[in-house]
Amino acid sequence: MSNTSVTAAPEDIVVPKKLGFGFWLCVIWVGLMAFIAIFASVLPLKSPTANFLNSAQGRPPYAPSWSHWFGTDKDARDVFSRSMYGARISLTVGFTAITAGFLIGGTLGVISGYYKGWIDRISSFGFIVLLSFPSLVLAILLTSLIDRNLLTVSLVLGLLSIAPVGRLARAATLQYADREFVLAARQIGATNRRIIIKEILPNVAIPMSSLALLGMAVAVVAEGGLAFLGFSVQKGITWGGLIQLGSDASKTLQNAPWIAFFPILMLFLTVLSLNFAGDRLRTFFDVKETTL
Amino acid sequence: MRYYVQRVALAILLLLAVSMLTFGALNILGDPLFNILGPVAGDVNNPDSIKMIALAKKEFSLDRSLPVRYFIWLSDFVRGDFGVTFSSTGQPPVSGVISERLPRTISLVFLAQMFAVLVSIPWAIIAAARAGKISDRISTINAFFLVAMPNFAIAVILKFVFSLKLGWTPITYMADDPLRSRLFQLLLPALTIGLPVAAVYQRLLRTDLITTLQQDFILLARTKGLSKTRILFVHALRPSLFSFITVVGLNTGALIGGSIVAETVFRIPGIGSTLVESIFRNDFPVVLAIVMIVASAFVVINLLVDFAYTLIDPRVRR
Repeated sequence: MSNTSVTAAPEDIVVPKKLGFGFWLCVIWVGLMAFIAIFASVLPLKSPTANFLNSAQGRPPYAPSWSHWFGTDKDARDVFSRSMYGARISLTVGFTAITAGFLIGGTLGVISGYYKGWIDRISSFGFIVLLSFPSLVLAILLTSLIDRNLLTVSLVLGLLSIAPVGRLARAATLQYADREFVLAARQIGATNRRIIIKEILPNVAIPMSSLALLGMAVAVVAEGGLAFLGFSVQKGITWGGLIQLGSDASKTLQNAPWIAFFPILMLFLTVLSLNFAGDRLRTFFDVKETTL
Repeated sequence: MRYYVQRVALAILLLLAVSMLTFGALNILGDPLFNILGPVAGDVNNPDSIKMIALAKKEFSLDRSLPVRYFIWLSDFVRGDFGVTFSSTGQPPVSGVISERLPRTISLVFLAQMFAVLVSIPWAIIAAARAGKISDRISTINAFFLVAMPNFAIAVILKFVFSLKLGWTPITYMADDPLRSRLFQLLLPALTIGLPVAAVYQRLLRTDLITTLQQDFILLARTKGLSKTRILFVHALRPSLFSFITVVGLNTGALIGGSIVAETVFRIPGIGSTLVESIFRNDFPVVLAIVMIVASAFVVINLLVDFAYTLIDPRVRR
């Protein structure tokens, strides 16, 4: 039903067949964040954990100034450099999570879409079970039970992306599994493994790749939410944790809003860029929205 | 008929799987004893504490094997007895905690959905009527911004602007206040949940509306000389609502999960904030009950949406 309604593109909206200025702006922002995340310790940033107490200014938190662009928190730590270091965990977790989700979910989805039968039934049931938990509830539940470090938090968020990625990969594979070129390959005696890798995967990979960016945005937000509630990586600085620190006490939020608001800005711009770039890629590759 | 039976059976199977996974994970990965007894639980060399551990194990039936405990829990759960909280006294019962707090979460989610629907429909209609024009572009960008804003960030911003700077809404939720002021206190959390959702609904409905507006019967209505408002609200809206209603329905379960953040920021004692507190206190029966309630809501709403489909389009039954 919705299939026909979404795919029929309205004529008066011309979808430009180029990525556009906005797309590259977003790519530059994400690239910049990734650069900062990787090289934070080499870049001339202030220490994120040092206390910059200044007796002339009285008691911290200090408002944004030339020496502290984003101000300081109530321990006189530099919010700018903390926001930069925050990109590290947020982006690493987002990237690792979506990579894990694509590897596991993508493989499962392609295999169940190709072989069908009982493999398909089992993995489809697994996907529905995973989707029956509201994702934040499942993420909180799992992270609360494990030792929270960079890898485990990433894997939990990766687990959450298995079901949506897997269903998408399965749907995309089903579209191709009975097409003529696949039958032809089978006729000339290609093995299943060869067909999946050489025939199916290249066709499925294109629509999936544009969704990797959208998925990474979701993972970054999810990590932020976990950190905000206190369920993300135990040691280290994350955007969600910084926002939580700046807004937990109403007094801090009221008197020193910059502590929470600059990390919010960083997170917002990053998620916006990932979303926008992903959406642009999707229209560029003309992926049907209903397969989402 | 066969279709309905199959769907219900699948739903029950799903909930069983969810409960087994949750029950297993909580019991294998966590240590319920420590929470009941405190440090005594680790003190295995002292004869007194061994006695206490044995007593507590018996009381909370932790001395049985895992499958047996699961079946005890399951048979109690389906009869509405959610067990006892893991504390030294076992009071209050989990059912009491839930029945006290669930209504708050439900009213919060209801308010948020109402807000999102009431905002997104006119927003989508206005955008679709001017599709491709500058005002539509601006509204699309706005929707994009809203979707990119994580709900905890929205919560912090709303709290800062409306509670702290303008002082329009109270900071905390008082359970004893009269209904009207409690509803007023739910306003900001409902906005927190509802705003990004409204943007999602708007984008969906706008696309469907634009497609409907290309159809012949709209052209006919226009040549009949009907006003643009009448065409949009009466003729175009109804056939465009199909996937909108589906998504609104399916989203309700997810919003219960989304209320975790809103309840935590605005300090509302609903099941979302209770889930977080209980996890920090290792209070497994409460966690299990909340996860099951949220998952059940999710599965049941899915089922209802599927059944609603069969009423609209009998081909779905196959």
